[in-house]
Amino acid sequence: MPETPEDLHEALATAVLELDEVLTADLCNKAVALGYDAWTTIEQGLIAGMNRAGKLFDEEEYFVPELLIASDAMYAGLGILRPHISQANTIHGRRVVIGVVQGDTHDIGKNLVRIMLEVAGFEVFDLGRDVPAQAFVDRAVEVNADVIALSTLMTTTMTQMSKVVSILEEGNIRHRFKVIVGGAPLSQQFSDRIGADGYAPKAAQAVQLAKQLTGLVNAAA
Amino acid sequence: MPIVTFSPSGASAEIPAGGTLLDAARLARVRLEAPCNGVGTCGKCRVRLDEASRARARIVATRNLSAEQVADGFVLLCSTLADGDLEVTVPGSGERGLRILEDGVRLDLPLNPTLRKRFDAERRCTVVSAGERVLAEEGGDTTTRLYGVAVDIGTTTLVASLLDLGTGARVGSASALNPQVTHAQDVLSRVQIASEPEGLALLHGELMAEIDRSIGLLAAEARIPRRRIYEVVIAGNTCMMHLAAAISPEALGRFPYTPALSGHEHRPAAALGLHIASCGEVYFPPIISGFVGSDITVGVLATDLAAAEGVTLFVDIGTNGEMVLARDGELQATSTAAGPAFEGMNIACGMRAARGAIERVAIERDDIRTATIDEAEAVGICGSGLFDAVAAMAVLGIIDSSGRFTRKAETLPAPLRARLRPLDGKTVFYLDGEIYLSQRDIRQVQLAKAAVRAGIDTMLLRNGLTPAQLDRALVAGSFGYHLTTRSLIDIGLFPAELDGKVSFVGNTARTGAEALLTNDEARETLRLVTSRVEAVELATDPDFTKVFVAAMAFPAPVSPALSDAA
Repeated sequence: MPETPEDLHEALATAVLELDEVLTADLCNKAVALGYDAWTTIEQGLIAGMNRAGKLFDEEEYFVPELLIASDAMYAGLGILRPHISQANTIHGRRVVIGVVQGDTHDIGKNLVRIMLEVAGFEVFDLGRDVPAQAFVDRAVEVNADVIALSTLMTTTMTQMSKVVSILEEGNIRHRFKVIVGGAPLSQQFSDRIGADGYAPKAAQAVQLAKQLTGLVNAAA
Repeated sequence: MPIVTFSPSGASAEIPAGGTLLDAARLARVRLEAPCNGVGTCGKCRVRLDEASRARARIVATRNLSAEQVADGFVLLCSTLADGDLEVTVPGSGERGLRILEDGVRLDLPLNPTLRKRFDAERRCTVVSAGERVLAEEGGDTTTRLYGVAVDIGTTTLVASLLDLGTGARVGSASALNPQVTHAQDVLSRVQIASEPEGLALLHGELMAEIDRSIGLLAAEARIPRRRIYEVVIAGNTCMMHLAAAISPEALGRFPYTPALSGHEHRPAAALGLHIASCGEVYFPPIISGFVGSDITVGVLATDLAAAEGVTLFVDIGTNGEMVLARDGELQATSTAAGPAFEGMNIACGMRAARGAIERVAIERDDIRTATIDEAEAVGICGSGLFDAVAAMAVLGIIDSSGRFTRKAETLPAPLRARLRPLDGKTVFYLDGEIYLSQRDIRQVQLAKAAVRAGIDTMLLRNGLTPAQLDRALVAGSFGYHLTTRSLIDIGLFPAELDGKVSFVGNTARTGAEALLTNDEARETLRLVTSRVEAVELATDPDFTKVFVAAMAFPAPVSPALSDAA
């Protein structure tokens, strides 16, 4: 077993990357028993491991199953560590409302993006699938979201995305939210055409995009 | 306004400055595929511009083109805008010599057509009737002249047969490309186009004109007048049925995908643009749901699925994997979105099943061997080749069970190792000459096969069945006909327990439609069977994501030595 907090964090990151949920849970329990800082353990262990898995996914080394299993391991660890986070720890506080647009029920891609956004410290409000355009806007206003993230797998429901943009414009609140879109039939051209703020072809790029648009990272970086 | 000229055909079109080359190609009636309907995602509408033309073009995006192709002057029609006159070179068309499967198993039914003729000796005329309804009266005795046409409208191809309803014999057959493919490859894109009235008119008009042309050819070959054809039975997926009947398919494009047409109904042929007898009719067989159409229901009829003892899986493997699970006469149907990978789309070197496509990949000792259509030089890979190739790669340990290229390439036999080479900085697997599969291609195939397998597993799960309890599997459709049981199992699309239980039943959409022409009772039987089929919606099944994710795994390599490589 690891000797120092740093060793344990590294072992934890590896356990998540290697999809080992049992070892992940064991290591988190150990961190709690040893009184290691829960927040640092989450950041340096669980999230670091999930980020490495996300990078492999981006490189097409890992695929949907690996990413989902890695996130199962991460969430198992989070369940153990979360009660031990001290009040002082706050994340950057950016909020995302995410969902699959109305008419579409395919949500695996959206779930991957949600996981990666959570890993990156966003507070995510997942509206699920078959979500009416108005519901995205209502929820975004209600929680004062920074980003509205829209997903669809089907060509026929892509138009729902422009509806969200239109509703924001009609309400004169377009400037309050960044709208990002993703899904197999989409492209940058489509995103430009409907007046969205950005398009990402892959989950990890969606996170990068959300970070840029909310000023967490420099767009040029 | 810029003039865009297409070589080698010489066709040209004038478009407003800043218009896309795709618009120009459509105006100039250049037959080119744009499977994604110009969204810029598929990379198939690739053409070449010379240097002078490139200076007058605005290249917006080059998705799915390699760095080498871009340097060579290749651009995408849909993502390139014309600022001045352009010369566009269209590469060899993939549609040349497209292979279409026409035949399938049939059910032996007595000859008893819906359409009948009776000579009235007193009035010296012939009465034409459909069941109880009198359609027309003709002067003189024409009772020996009674024909019908059965049409299978595939998303990609059309197959039509002419039947002599006096004898029940097929007297001719014709096949053609579905003209709608030039607008969009997949069903959903066509749903989208036809959701607007102009789009519906366009797709309906083109489709019926092509069917009418085929009917004309069949009549001419059989040396009969068109007016002696009295009925056309049209089978196809639910979207194609809507488009044939000129009904908006708009609702098929969004959950819960409710069809606006239920089938088992007649329309006057003339109103749909078909030139047959003036009293002639079109019969649309019953459909099951938004994604399980009459191509499947007539297939159920042709294979007599409702009468099959035990547990039978009927599956049509294609862009939409439709399947029916029959348990001693109880039928459940569903469809899964496999995506276009099986048609060679979204695959870097993918193409349809035409001349020069790699259609077979076999394992030969420590290497693989490929075969192309017409034994031509390999120019791409079609669905069946893709299937064989990925199955072989899984068996040989070139990919591991997660689908990733092996990280222990050094343990592979030398001939296989030599096929793994870098391209644009990433490892790809070369099959034949310049034709390769990338990690991304394998992921596309993996998604497609997992979708179908997840459909099968979910259906079994809902019924508390294990794969071993399947008595047989019937693979219908033209794509499935070119697959082998070996590859289906090796790639993990079928559970290993189906070994020895698979039959390939061919184009049952056509043979089923023919059965409806020649036997009137079959219509009522099929209507009853169809009304009792339970339509299963997979996307909302609570277990689906879990099953889908599990279905992505490839079976482990066969020998321990190869296991080591993966």
